[in-house]
Amino acid sequence: MILQFFVLSQRGDNIVYRDYRGEAQKGSAETFFRKVKFWKEDAEGDAPPVFNIDGVNYFHVKVAGLLFVATTRVNVSPSLVLELLQRIARVIKDYLGVLNEDSFRKNFVLVYELLDEVIDFGYVQTTSTEDLKSYVFNEPIVIDAARMPPLGPASIFMQGTKRMPGTAITKSVVANEPGGRKRDEIFVDVIEKISVTFNSSGFILTSEIDGTIQMKSYLTGNPEIRLALNEDLSIGTSDYRGSGAVILDDCNFHESVHLDSFDVDRTLSLVPPEGEFPVMNYRMTQPFKPPFRINALIEETGSLKAEVTIKVRAEFNSSINANTVLVQMPLPSFTSRVTFELEPGAVGHTTDFKEANKRLEWGLKKVVGGSEHTLRAKLTFSQELHGNIMKEAGPVSMTFTVPMYNASRLQVKYLQIAKKSKAHNPYRWVRYVTQANSYVARL
Amino acid sequence: MSRNDSKYFSTTKKGEIPELKEELNSQYKDKRKDAVKKVIAAMTVGKDVSSLFTDVVNCMQTENLELKKLVYLYLINYAKSQPDLAILAVNTFVKDSQDPNPLIRALAVRTMGCIRVDKITEYLCDPLQRCLKDDDPYVRKTAAICVAKLYDINAELAALAEIQENSSRPIFELTSSTLSKLLTALNECTEWGQVFILDALSRYKAADAREAENIVERVTPRLQHANCAVVLSAVKMILQQMELITSTDVVRNLCKKMAPPLVTLLSAEPEIQYVALRNINLIVQRRPTILAHEIKVFFCKYNDPIYVKMEKLEIMIKLASDRNIDQVLLEFKEYATEVDVDFVRKAVRAIGRCAIKLERAAERCISVLLELIKIKVNYVVQEAIIVIKDIFRRYPNTYESIIATLCENLDTLDEPEAKASMIWIIGEYAERIDNADELLESFLESFPEEPAQVQLQLLTATVKLFLKKPTEGPQQMIQAAKDVVLAEKPVITDDSNQLDPSLLDELLVNIATLSSVYHKPPDAFVTRTYLSAQKTEDDDYPEGSETGYSESPGNHANGPASPPPTAPVPDLLGDLMGTDNSSIVPPDEPTTTTGPPLSIVLPTSVGHGFQVSAQLTRQDGQIFYSMLFENNTHVPLDGFMIQFNKNTFGLAAAGPLQVPQLQPGTSARTLLPMVMFQNMSQGPPSSLLQVAVKNNQQPVWYFNDKFSFHVLFTEDGIMERSAFLETWRSLPDSNEVSKDFPAIVIDSVEATLDRLAASNVFFIAKRKNANQDVFYFSAKIPQGIPLLIELTTVVGNPGAKCAIKTPSPEMSAFFFEAIETLLRS
Repeated sequence: MILQFFVLSQRGDNIVYRDYRGEAQKGSAETFFRKVKFWKEDAEGDAPPVFNIDGVNYFHVKVAGLLFVATTRVNVSPSLVLELLQRIARVIKDYLGVLNEDSFRKNFVLVYELLDEVIDFGYVQTTSTEDLKSYVFNEPIVIDAARMPPLGPASIFMQGTKRMPGTAITKSVVANEPGGRKRDEIFVDVIEKISVTFNSSGFILTSEIDGTIQMKSYLTGNPEIRLALNEDLSIGTSDYRGSGAVILDDCNFHESVHLDSFDVDRTLSLVPPEGEFPVMNYRMTQPFKPPFRINALIEETGSLKAEVTIKVRAEFNSSINANTVLVQMPLPSFTSRVTFELEPGAVGHTTDFKEANKRLEWGLKKVVGGSEHTLRAKLTFSQELHGNIMKEAGPVSMTFTVPMYNASRLQVKYLQIAKKSKAHNPYRWVRYVTQANSYVARL
Repeated sequence: MSRNDSKYFSTTKKGEIPELKEELNSQYKDKRKDAVKKVIAAMTVGKDVSSLFTDVVNCMQTENLELKKLVYLYLINYAKSQPDLAILAVNTFVKDSQDPNPLIRALAVRTMGCIRVDKITEYLCDPLQRCLKDDDPYVRKTAAICVAKLYDINAELAALAEIQENSSRPIFELTSSTLSKLLTALNECTEWGQVFILDALSRYKAADAREAENIVERVTPRLQHANCAVVLSAVKMILQQMELITSTDVVRNLCKKMAPPLVTLLSAEPEIQYVALRNINLIVQRRPTILAHEIKVFFCKYNDPIYVKMEKLEIMIKLASDRNIDQVLLEFKEYATEVDVDFVRKAVRAIGRCAIKLERAAERCISVLLELIKIKVNYVVQEAIIVIKDIFRRYPNTYESIIATLCENLDTLDEPEAKASMIWIIGEYAERIDNADELLESFLESFPEEPAQVQLQLLTATVKLFLKKPTEGPQQMIQAAKDVVLAEKPVITDDSNQLDPSLLDELLVNIATLSSVYHKPPDAFVTRTYLSAQKTEDDDYPEGSETGYSESPGNHANGPASPPPTAPVPDLLGDLMGTDNSSIVPPDEPTTTTGPPLSIVLPTSVGHGFQVSAQLTRQDGQIFYSMLFENNTHVPLDGFMIQFNKNTFGLAAAGPLQVPQLQPGTSARTLLPMVMFQNMSQGPPSSLLQVAVKNNQQPVWYFNDKFSFHVLFTEDGIMERSAFLETWRSLPDSNEVSKDFPAIVIDSVEATLDRLAASNVFFIAKRKNANQDVFYFSAKIPQGIPLLIELTTVVGNPGAKCAIKTPSPEMSAFFFEAIETLLRS
């Protein structure tokens, strides 16, 4: 099935290379990288994840700045190959703790050992981190977490009033703690990515939540876990129960999840494999309250001048803060100069006019729930307008991260770990994060 | 190689290998392990460490499993190039295959199977047979995979083993009891196994509707799997069985059940989204009801990659209806003002296609197009005019009131297709445009420089203008010409991106495979170099499927060349009727998918189901026109003929086209031998090849091909270094032409030289200039014209400069294009 597997850096360097069938021609990695690098010779543009050159099919995914590539000659399932590439990256991340070019290079021998067990003769054998532990002997060389860029306060894990830094899950699943002591804890992430499109009047045209309940288990002895969601959870619109219900359009589950109790009381039973995996993915298009409202206006103020006003309002509770908020707005291609005016008392705001691609950027370090912020920008043009200025500028797009908040109101009501003894009391950490996916206001 | 040449060749750095050799023989185990790691690292980045073979193999006898694995990895890579030395490792393999540790037993068998040396495989049979019966399931699993490896390496030898017992009967036969067992196994195996089982079962044909419903009931839970490959394979299975289910209620429920999982695939990573969208494109063509109410999920997200956006646009067009068109038009209008030019063009075309598709929405679509024209963005205006021309053809004499607006934008048109469309509009509605003659006259000013497409439209429009506004001439002649030129024309529809039903059927059988991503049947892109092995391993053709190739041997021209064939004459009369499809906008080939090696020169949609892919190639000193004919029509096609128009190098067919009758749904491949200097054209040199192809059932099809110059390079292009220098000096400096290739990167010198040599560009010498590498090559084109090439670059860095000296410097543009193509490929 798979002829070759290789991993390339962003510069096209070969970091790992395996040839499973011995029938591929030399220079496949080179051929592939040149094609991807210059897919659109005149402009930036991503190459599609699957393409064919001279009868060879190339598949690639980008993970952590690396290109994971597989090749075939036959008519395979492309989603299987792409899923496999994603999964290989995840397994390697489980072993190394942190996946980037540096950790990859330091552990390339371990990676070769893993690949030997994951794929044999081009056929996938297993991608279970737990199974692989039985066969793989190299210890990972761990990158010091202190040398990693800070993840920011968005990644605080909670258990009651206790806090654990988000870097806790960058530890290797298989490496032993210093002193040989084994950790006994489990991390649960409820991560929601929000896509909203506002029209020029501020009304919502489309809105969607893509959510995932992600688990990373460091538990010893593989105990059974019960995870309870909202009792009034509905899937599909046919069994609507009441105004307070959480209504999902669809959801799917990891294969370790047993759904026997799900239809009755919305609880999931599973024996979590070691490593990181998505317990459940869900999707929701029922109307929900968006975390931010955006109002944007652009109007001409002279023959070669215009003014932009952007207003952002945080619609969540004042006890919650949003972090690393960035507002961007493309400006007319003939904009030559921009001056900014922030509201009095603005703290932690940055403004910038990106000359290269004619874009306005407004960064807000922290936004408190319930607060409202305004930016005014004066534009100077190098040529006269021909038509409607609103056609030349926009849309306004926004990225943000809001910890301890989720728009769907899907909750992990409890997380029950089967006990082996009274002294056995593993830690349970649950984190909620809402992030912007495509959050756009049209002019 | 004389000593005088040494300054042109650099020597390999030799300090590294002896150092590694010393470390590999160290008495300290840790040092040896580190040394093997360094060897593996060097191997990965492409360095040649094969000379260390013996030293690495000596590290193999060890209790340390890590070190053993590393040595085995090295052996897998280099055994083929050192077969005699690899034999030395056999004893250790055989011994390891009996080790008490099952991990070592499995490792030995797996490694032996990966070593593709015939002698190794002879020693492999006994350990393999033993491991197939091993106590440990991990060892048995590894041995089972190894049987497939053994068959691949040496089919004859494998027949002597257990496979022989099975080869006399079908290896894998699907019966209802097999089906039942596999469906049970579906619940017990891993996600990857589920994909393979579902794909295998999709070839099963249920006996009746009840069995189909039972199968579907057991497969449906797979739709809730988090692995998208499992979901897609389950969808394929369900779609297949739905063809047999007669109950409309059951079918409707299945459609309802399949919609949410298909939509959820669009929440995955962009790579999976792309694959899902290509499959959904096929599914909605067969079963539009599944996603008819889900158009909003295909609205483009602002941060989607371009390859996802393009596919979403395509599906939005297919799902657009009178019910949702207002919402859809708002979206298209927004997309038409985005930054990516290709995406904007496609959005404008999407509006035009919706106008053609939905009659009641046509006026609203035109309003949006007019709004976009007023924005005055050049490429938007041109694209809008192209689609408006198609709308005029769809709705004759209905929307011509907007012509005045179009005429305001004549000055901005610079694309041939946009010009041709505007000219067509002027000619078609000449009687309603007061100054039609002046408008056409302004286009006529640049007539000689225009491509044929524009010239043809200008001629047609001029004749139409004359007939509609006659100034003088006999009435009888005018009336007769009017009957011909102004005859009523057939109405066009929006089928430019619709697939032929038989092709759609084949692609639906191949949902969740590469075929559904490329939108091509498997035989169009699968090369059968290992025919027997692949049929065993990956036989996914439905029963009764015909092979795609019925190849005809090329007719080599051994005697004197035949008289030059007559150049084809464009069929002006046909185009005057307005029925010639050359004026219909050809579909955009998806830019996100690379086709098969031959490029499509006559798409199915243009050839009314007849498709031609072609490429000029060189084999064994002979130039061929390699062609693939595909019959996506409903009737057999035969009587194929081909002609070439005059061209710069006089390329012409050396003999007739030898293609047998093509049944519907089949294709044929042929190598047409070519001769040169038979069909010379005057005027400036061009790489354009104008071709006419005909069959007995269809009119003559004309298409343009462009040949890459390097197919003309001859095998005797190599020069002695002294001859090279002498020729370089003897040519005047004015014959030297230079060009920069900013995007070219030469990462591997060896691979580059090999690739150039394969196309008859021969390496002469190399030297160092400051920090740059300078390479010298030679090539020849027919009639003995030499080509001297100097290539300057920094290996591994972007940017290369190429200088060419030749007695025919007017050909330099083609030379540069050929060199760039070879370096880039």
